[in-house]
Amino acid sequence: MMVRYGFLYDESRCISCYACIVACSSNNYPELMEDPNPNIFWGTMATNIRIVIKEQGRPEQILLSCQHCERPPCVEVCPTGASHVDRSNGFVEIDYDKCIGCKACITACPYNARWIHPIKLKPMKCIGDACKARIAKGEMPFCVEVCPAEARVFGDLDDPNSEINKRIASAKTVKIKEYLGTEPKFYVVRG
Amino acid sequence: MGDIILKNEQEKIKLTRRDFLKTAAFTALALSIPSGGLKLLESLTESEALSEQAPTSAQPLPAYIATSCGMCGGSCGIKVGILNNKPVAAVPIEGHPQPGLCGRAAMLPWLYDNALRLKKPMKRVGNRGEGSFQEIPWDQALNEIASKLKEIVSKYGYKSIAITYHDCWSSYIPLFTYLFGTPNGIPHVSTCHLAGSAARSQVLGIAGPNLVDPDYENASYLLLIGRSLSTGIMGQVQRARSNSKLRIVVVDPRMPEISFGNAEWIPIIPGTDPAFVLSLINVIIEEGLYDANFLKKYTNAPFLIKQDGKPLTEADVKQGGSSTTYMVYDSSSSSIVPYTSASQPDLNYQGNVTLADGSTASVKTAFLLLKDRASQYSPSNASKITGVDEDTIRRIAREFALYRGVADDTWYAAKNGNEYDAVKGILILNALVGNIDAMGGLVFQESAGIPSIITLVTSGGKTYAKTIYGASMPQEMFADSTQKRVDQLKYKLTLGTFDAVLDAILKDDPYPIRALFVIGTTPILRDMNASKVIEAYKKLDLVVFINVLYQDDADYADYILPDTTFLERDEIFATKWTPHAVVQMTRKVIEPPEDSDPREAVWAMFEIARRAFPERAYALGWKDEYADYSKFESQFVPSVIDAILNSVSSKWNVSKDRIKQELETNGFYLLKRKSYYSRPYKSPVGTPSGRVEIYPLAALASGLDPLPSYSPPAYTLPSAPNEFYLVNSKSPTTSLTATILEPSKFLEDRKVWMNPKDASRLGISDGDAIEIESIDLPGAKVIAEVRVTNRVREGVLYTRAQAGGRRAKKLVAMRHFSTNGVNPEFLAKVSLHPIIGYGATNCSVRIRKL
Repeated sequence: MMVRYGFLYDESRCISCYACIVACSSNNYPELMEDPNPNIFWGTMATNIRIVIKEQGRPEQILLSCQHCERPPCVEVCPTGASHVDRSNGFVEIDYDKCIGCKACITACPYNARWIHPIKLKPMKCIGDACKARIAKGEMPFCVEVCPAEARVFGDLDDPNSEINKRIASAKTVKIKEYLGTEPKFYVVRG
Repeated sequence: MGDIILKNEQEKIKLTRRDFLKTAAFTALALSIPSGGLKLLESLTESEALSEQAPTSAQPLPAYIATSCGMCGGSCGIKVGILNNKPVAAVPIEGHPQPGLCGRAAMLPWLYDNALRLKKPMKRVGNRGEGSFQEIPWDQALNEIASKLKEIVSKYGYKSIAITYHDCWSSYIPLFTYLFGTPNGIPHVSTCHLAGSAARSQVLGIAGPNLVDPDYENASYLLLIGRSLSTGIMGQVQRARSNSKLRIVVVDPRMPEISFGNAEWIPIIPGTDPAFVLSLINVIIEEGLYDANFLKKYTNAPFLIKQDGKPLTEADVKQGGSSTTYMVYDSSSSSIVPYTSASQPDLNYQGNVTLADGSTASVKTAFLLLKDRASQYSPSNASKITGVDEDTIRRIAREFALYRGVADDTWYAAKNGNEYDAVKGILILNALVGNIDAMGGLVFQESAGIPSIITLVTSGGKTYAKTIYGASMPQEMFADSTQKRVDQLKYKLTLGTFDAVLDAILKDDPYPIRALFVIGTTPILRDMNASKVIEAYKKLDLVVFINVLYQDDADYADYILPDTTFLERDEIFATKWTPHAVVQMTRKVIEPPEDSDPREAVWAMFEIARRAFPERAYALGWKDEYADYSKFESQFVPSVIDAILNSVSSKWNVSKDRIKQELETNGFYLLKRKSYYSRPYKSPVGTPSGRVEIYPLAALASGLDPLPSYSPPAYTLPSAPNEFYLVNSKSPTTSLTATILEPSKFLEDRKVWMNPKDASRLGISDGDAIEIESIDLPGAKVIAEVRVTNRVREGVLYTRAQAGGRRAKKLVAMRHFSTNGVNPEFLAKVSLHPIIGYGATNCSVRIRKL
């Protein structure tokens, strides 16, 4: 069955408990749990979610991850075709058998949504393997499952009855850097 | 930082260089091919072909078990995922009345086998404070502790033993006090919820912070003063966030995390909350926005108060009248009558009354006294104190009344020494708008009726301490257990003031304490003037530290006993933070790590007692075979759980098997849903009058001013250009356990926040190092890195509590990330409320750029 998954992050509801970040890390990268500097690219945990705080004016925070763009620059620049859009689910994915670790995708991603695995030396990003396994079982990815504030929604953008489409319909959403023509599938409700 | 560019802001924000390069690279790539779109399409077509492969979902999935989280004291309902014999994940329990999850719970995979985990008993080998220990067998540790205890008791008596604790094992502490014959089981509350609990017990007749709470999911307007909803109990957040109509206003010197979202932040001068609240009361009364009907029927607002502050009673006006029948002016009969028989009690009466002895007394309603008091805090006056402008105060007051808002009754609030007045005012505010036990208001929790582990019963003229599992200790064995605690001898209304234990250790005041058990807590990160705690540790004859991780206080222990984590034990208790009556379980989901041998603190305490005072242990139901830990787990623990289940089953008339089955499957059993409009509508609240008391008679009886007032914080106020308030709070990832687990390295902010205006004035930049010296404790200094942010009010520095500045030798040697930052307890002086015994963990400091 073809689906087109997207994410919604509701900044107005987020409480900054960071359960999503921690759960993403321990479930998708358990091998890096004891690494003292697992993600030198972002200076944070081995996680696919990056904390972005805007201090100017009214402070805002976005917990940002791969936007699963319809027209992803990371796919565009990939010399081997490792980075690709999986049209069966809409995810931007990496075929690690093809990936040569050239980091072109990391440079090209305007969202800084990829980081380098310190052991595998290859780019990592949302969606992680543990989350993919959950989705295959009909469950929510970890970041959505653990959120106590209903600040995260995941679902099929092509299904008019999906929870994500209901939230998109009921709240004013924006997409980050949409002007770049990347057609992100990561909706943000601003605080 | 600063690289969010949202669609509707794009014209305003310039691209950063990095963004520009990336965009340029992307554009260049697209332009390098005549039809860039086509290239993209080709690429996608190729990947579409690739995606024909099966999804990579073959990896094994964890098996989930419903239990409760123990990463902080909240005990939220979570499911723990076990894979390859390790806890690897946590998810919330759907439908649980207090569901997880937060960052703390998500960190549990790091807790289980952490390098800082206490795995075997250890004995000190160097001096106290050096942090040198050697592993010893359990038997040796227990025998040596028991032998030392016997020696101490023979010299100083049973009451020279003290136990301090936090939430962990708190239900067992009364049992431990009988076990060791001491009254001194003393919790953390003087630096936590004590001020609020005193105010709650006087105004609402109920103490504990969780026994009354806002009805988050049904509220329309939530006012958070001294509370941020950012710490612990994410179920409350979930309930608040599921309520789309809820407006949240938070009053705090620094911006709590919730204000990244849709919560208005009002930056207030630290320690001025009582003046702010009184000003709201002033506006609501002056503008007639209060619920007069509620005040007349369900509060003591119409009670007539004499000039000496005491209520006019029937005994005052009638020979032989009752001294607990309070009088009101009934406007329907134009007479002064008992409050229970007035049909139209007058809120605004004042006049003279002829007393039974023929004299005349001038009286005024409690409501008018409140009005008079609040009139001292007009928005214009309060604005000068609080730094919040008049218009904002008026707006918040009007919004609160018009929305029939609810003001949170606070939790971890001991910050400035005047929180008792702040919380009293907050509770009165809720009463003024009639929002007590109403849907969306401040509601009383339905009691699950979990019995106490030990209670005093009298039978055949003799008193026994009877345990829930059937053992009983006769009165002649109580020793000092039923005496007043050492803190209660000093602070009449305290529920726990650990500083009194320190005085007993350091000055034998009022008597010597020589042995201290520190169970599941860390006073060095908990109590004001941590240096005094350390001084006391050094003077003790015996210090036993029981915990799951190596915390600062372990350095000063003679013996360290490894406790089980919440993943490795069974417990049953009432769900704490829900308005419903619910019972839930913590379950042993996994055996402890292979190289470890932790034992429950309950087992360790009984085994120490069995060796030191065997008759006491046996009287409380201990058996020799429980020395075998597996027997303790398979016999003693189930006997306690079974006894509690029996009691709950009979109270609620539900079969034990059914409760048990639900607990095993879902982790909780809902006994009764919240029934609104119960107290004080259908049954009295636990105050002297049975009503909500806006003029608390219990306060009067304890020598306290019944009405809230504002007095400055308990510390010297900053005055020089380089002097600041230093305020603290926990973050959404803070707990004593979580802040030393690896994710905390990246998620906890250990910098000290400074407003950009202050930073610019003092020539300080983001990332600069400063020395911070306490004004009230000269010489108490720390070094910190500055975060320049407008998330803190001008003139105020902010640091996390219990997150940084750790000094345990082991952590320092490891260069552990938790040694960065500030432990504010080293800078705050001990300043305790003379009657309630709560303290202030905020302080004032002077800074120097390094």
